Amino acid sequence: MNQWEVFVMDVAELVEGTDLELTIRTLNPGVQKYTYKRVRAQVSTALDQFADQLQVRLGRGQLSKARFSIKVIEEIQRCPAKYL
Amino acid sequence: MSKISAPRSNREFVEACIKSGDAVRIKQQVDWDNEAGAIVRRVCELGQAAPFMENIKDYPGFSYFGAPLSTYRRMAISLGMDPASTLPEIGKEYLKRTNSEPIAPVTIDRKDAPCKENILLGDDVDLCKLPVPLVHDGDGGRYVGTWHAVVTKHPVRGDVNWGMYRQMMWDGRTMSGAVFPFSDLGKALTEYYLPRGEGCPFATAIGLSPLAAMAACAPSPIPEPELVGMLSGEPARLVKCETNDLEVPADAEIILEGVILPDYKVEEGPFGEYTGYRTSPRDFRVTFRVNAITYRNNATMTISNMGTPQDEGQMLRSFSLGLELEKLLRSQGIPITGVYMHPRSTHHMMIVGVKPTYAGVASQIAHLAFGSKLGPWFHMVMVVDDKTDIYNWDEVYHAFCTRCHPANGIHIYKNTVGTPLYPFATPHERKYSIGSKVLFDCLWPVDWDPINDVPTPVSFKNVYSKEIQDQVTSNWTAYGYPPVK
Repeated sequence: MNQWEVFVMDVAELVEGTDLELTIRTLNPGVQKYTYKRVRAQVSTALDQFADQLQVRLGRGQLSKARFSIKVIEEIQRCPAKYL
Repeated sequence: MSKISAPRSNREFVEACIKSGDAVRIKQQVDWDNEAGAIVRRVCELGQAAPFMENIKDYPGFSYFGAPLSTYRRMAISLGMDPASTLPEIGKEYLKRTNSEPIAPVTIDRKDAPCKENILLGDDVDLCKLPVPLVHDGDGGRYVGTWHAVVTKHPVRGDVNWGMYRQMMWDGRTMSGAVFPFSDLGKALTEYYLPRGEGCPFATAIGLSPLAAMAACAPSPIPEPELVGMLSGEPARLVKCETNDLEVPADAEIILEGVILPDYKVEEGPFGEYTGYRTSPRDFRVTFRVNAITYRNNATMTISNMGTPQDEGQMLRSFSLGLELEKLLRSQGIPITGVYMHPRSTHHMMIVGVKPTYAGVASQIAHLAFGSKLGPWFHMVMVVDDKTDIYNWDEVYHAFCTRCHPANGIHIYKNTVGTPLYPFATPHERKYSIGSKVLFDCLWPVDWDPINDVPTPVSFKNVYSKEIQDQVTSNWTAYGYPPVK
């Protein structure tokens, strides 16, 4: 199980039952902690719906009480290939 | 100029601070994830010795030095002065050195540059190999650059710029940062690189000598490498980067090299800021791609933890902004007695003392201050007369509350240059760096009759004769009062 975190202005941005494009960061322990990925994912308020867990922070870093499970469908690479 | 014995590297500075009791060694393990940041924050709020953390979880061999310049004592040490020097003494020394002849930097061979002791290139480049701290819980990321210099060069004019633009680690090769549009780098990006779709070479130097950090933080028109030389009394030692033509401080602890991308942005923030709040919104910001990392053996990462007063951002910016404005106003012949910016204003209020010999001098000061390159960093100017001690907040506050006419003495300027970091600004103003300014004119009008219109201060020193004052002070303990220090 992986732990992820997302920043949103409003928890309502996290719509269930549809593919979302999100910037999430890993909370897994280790030196990679807090590094980001851009992903296509689905989320659910049912914490046992998906294997990974997602916690939410709001616009100024406040930790939301809302919790989700998350399924990362694929990583999206937005950075132009010439820089990779 | 007499020989200056200022610390020439962060290492010399740490040793000097430990020797004087202005830094402490922390040998027990400290976590880079919040704990180190919390230590630095508490040190700032209590005004205590700077923490030199020698054992970082997950990062053997690295160390942290936090709150490097968050006290005037450490600022004095950085200048090679007695730690007990007063603020006016430190300011006078800063003005003396920065009004001296520029001292050009020297470029040294890379084999002599400590920052080249370890070099990571290609697939080895990974910011996660550095002990990048999560400074505040809830920050948008781990911040690589909190007390550092981002080195760039103007592509046409060739001007070198060292600026303290905060940088967040987005992934192992990518950082994002807040670069305001009015800054030197912001202007170079919007005037040149972005319209052409060209990448801007950059280098980030972390763990600088304190005077190099001071230069990077100061809003001086003098190029920073020369300013370092003027402050330290000897040429700054630079070395060429591995992957671009920029030159960086050779004694820095860590160097990141790369390119600012013209066509790709990632999110940055939120971040605990010098105003004492998280204000600027998380947004897609200037994005840095890292192509090389070089660092000293046993490298020390410097950490500034911005927040409620007082930290080095507030200390040093208020110090240098005030003194640079003093230089500007004197250069224009304004009869000022001094300029002071209290760090607890989070460098938002400039207090100017002036001999009010002509009408409109307060407005003249405000126009110069707000219209200068310094202007975006503060939004209040308070002008008091030459009899008010600008360093004594009680006197300044009394002048403000009693002499500033509510209708005639407060002048508001709208639609000025601002920053997204102003806590009072509307969301729209933050997004577009729109500001507002205010002048508090605390001078008696020059068209008032000085005998019959200007109120007379009623104080012990002002209303009693010298003889009565001497009689009372000499008998003070005889009256039964404790001695006055």
